[in-house]
Formats: sequence, C-alpha cells, structure tokens
Amino acid sequence: VWLLVAAAISYGRVHRQLGLGPCSRLDLLRDLMTALVRHERIEAPWARADKMWVYVERLIDYVKLGDTNERAMRIADFWLTVSFFPAPLSSPCGPGAGAEHAALQEKDLIYKLFKVLASQFQPHPGSYTHLLQIPNRHGLDHAKMAVIELKGNPFLLLICPCHDTEKTLLNQLLKGYREDTQQAAAP
Amino acid sequence: ALVVVFSPLPRLRGLLQRCWGRLERGFLPGFSGGQSPPWGPALAVQAPACLPQPVDDAGESNEAPSLLDSILWMAAPKKRRTIEVNRCRRRNPSKLIKVKRNIDVCPECGNLKQKHVLCGYCYAKVKAETRLIRIEIHKKEGGPFNAPTVETVVLYDGEKPTEEDEGKRIVERARKRPSWFVQN
Repeated sequence: VWLLVAAAISYGRVHRQLGLGPCSRLDLLRDLMTALVRHERIEAPWARADKMWVYVERLIDYVKLGDTNERAMRIADFWLTVSFFPAPLSSPCGPGAGAEHAALQEKDLIYKLFKVLASQFQPHPGSYTHLLQIPNRHGLDHAKMAVIELKGNPFLLLICPCHDTEKTLLNQLLKGYREDTQQAAAP
Repeated sequence: ALVVVFSPLPRLRGLLQRCWGRLERGFLPGFSGGQSPPWGPALAVQAPACLPQPVDDAGESNEAPSLLDSILWMAAPKKRRTIEVNRCRRRNPSKLIKVKRNIDVCPECGNLKQKHVLCGYCYAKVKAETRLIRIEIHKKEGGPFNAPTVETVVLYDGEKPTEEDEGKRIVERARKRPSWFVQN
C-alpha cells in the first residue's frame, strides 16, 4: 500500500509523463516526427511539441552527415518508419514487428529527408524548427497547443517581420525632429 | 539423535521433554526394563506463585476502539467560524482569480491576443490557406505516399517561377495572392 502512495506523490519529479509509458512515449514522438517531416507544419499539444523538437533537430544533424553514413541510415530508419494505418497486430516496443509493413510506406519520406532537407539545412548550423504557442484547444479540453514548423516550409509565415509604419508616435516625432534640424540648417 | 547445530538450551529442553514423557509413561530415567517402583517427589523447587500464562487480555486492547473512544480523538470544529474569519479566508489574494496583464492588440487584425501566443484570427486565416494549399498538393501527388524528392513552391494567379525556383515542384493556387502572404 505504501509503495503505491509513494508512487502517487509527485513532489520534485521533473520529467514529464507523455503517454502510457516509455514505449508509448517513443511511439508518440515518432508519430509526430514522421508527420512533421511529411507535412512540415504540425499542430500538437505544447508538451509533446516541446519534447519533440529536440529529437527532430538531432535527427536533421544526423541526416546532414549524408546518405552513405550507416549510422544516419539506421537512425532515420528507426525514427521514420511508422505504419500509417493502425495495423491490428501492434508491436509492443519499437517498430521491429511492423518493419516490413512500414518500410514500404514511409520510404518516400526517407528520400525526402536525405535529399531535400539535408541540402536545405546545410548552410544553417543550428535550429531548424520554429515552436510557437497557439490559443488553447477550443471546446474539448482547452489544452495548451503549439505549432512546430520546419524553417524552409512552402507555406505562409506565421510571424511576419513587420516594420513599423510611419504613423507610429516615435516615427512621427523623429520625422518632426529631422524637419526641424533641416529648417534650422537651411537658412 | 540430537541436532548439534543449536545452542545447548534446546538440547536441555529436549532432554527434559523426553524425561517428562518417560515419567508420564511410568518409567524412571536411567531404569532400563522392568516396572517402575512407586515413587514420590525427590526434590521440591521454589516456583513463582502464578506461572506465566498466555495472556488473553492482550487481545482485548487490539480490537477496534468503541464508539465512545472514537468521539474522544476525531477532529471536529470547536467554535463557529465568524463571517469575518470566513471573509478573510475566502478573499485572500491567493484564492482570487489573477488579473492578466499580458493581453495586447494584434497589429495586423486588431483582435486581442496574449503577448506570447499567436493571434487566433491570424492563425485561423493562415491555417485555412495552408489547408487549401495542402489539398492542391494532394491532388498533385495523387496517392497517399508520394512525397517528392524536391522542394515545393506555391504560386498564385499570374505569377511565373523565378530563377531560384528552378528545380522545385510548383503548386498552383487558383486565386490572386493575398496581401498578407509572405513566402517563407
């Protein structure tokens, strides 16, 4: 009884619990990563997105090493091959059981990873993703949601770097000052 | 045969038990064969007046305390909480809803937004447009698992692909470019 009570008290536990357990957590992260590589812009609960972007950036770092690298191939294989349709036989941990099923389905994504994304992110040394918060999920559970996107995606910008217009107070004051100095300097 | 592992005390106890058994059956210890002669007490030892008995009283103290006892150690309020004390507790700042100071006006559309969160209206706009673009991509790809091995560029009505869009796959959208669209 006391072991259960000790397990329930979570004072001081820093790690987030995603999903049912470690295997389920890895599956969740893998699903999200595959979806991101396929669609390049993903809406997900903020906690999952927050955990996910680290894995994505490490994956892209490995992928940048090249197509021929054995290690990069194995890592991409693990993190991307996922059976899109929920198969009736579920593999308990890791994609080992569903590998034959999945290897056919997500092969195009591996090509896309190594050819498109590697060349796209070659000049950048570091961050390849944007993580932005969205208003809470409407209606169901008001969960804190976030948007992850890869930086070179073909869609619209979520944050527009807009320059201040001329009508702002500061710009009007500066404009007036400039005109005053010109008038003082002219005659 | 005796078990030699233990301390001498059980050995003595075993010996005593066997002697007692023999006495009960009527033999003298050390008397081999024959009937036992009538015997009486050879040695009298002082023993405590009452031998230690298995205590039956210990069980009574372990039973669940009766209702009369439980009244004595259950928690209960002693006095009625006055309305002043109640007010202090209910209106304590930790219990009131906090006022949010991080709400601003979105410069693009004028709706309210939180400072660290994207504007809901603008994001809904972007999401709708992204959905339409994705429909076009889906139409172009045809099947479910045909991700291309080249980048993608979105072009609107009346736009031609520039020089940097050479090797990319082009996705056409049949409307004019919205004013707020900035290509990534």
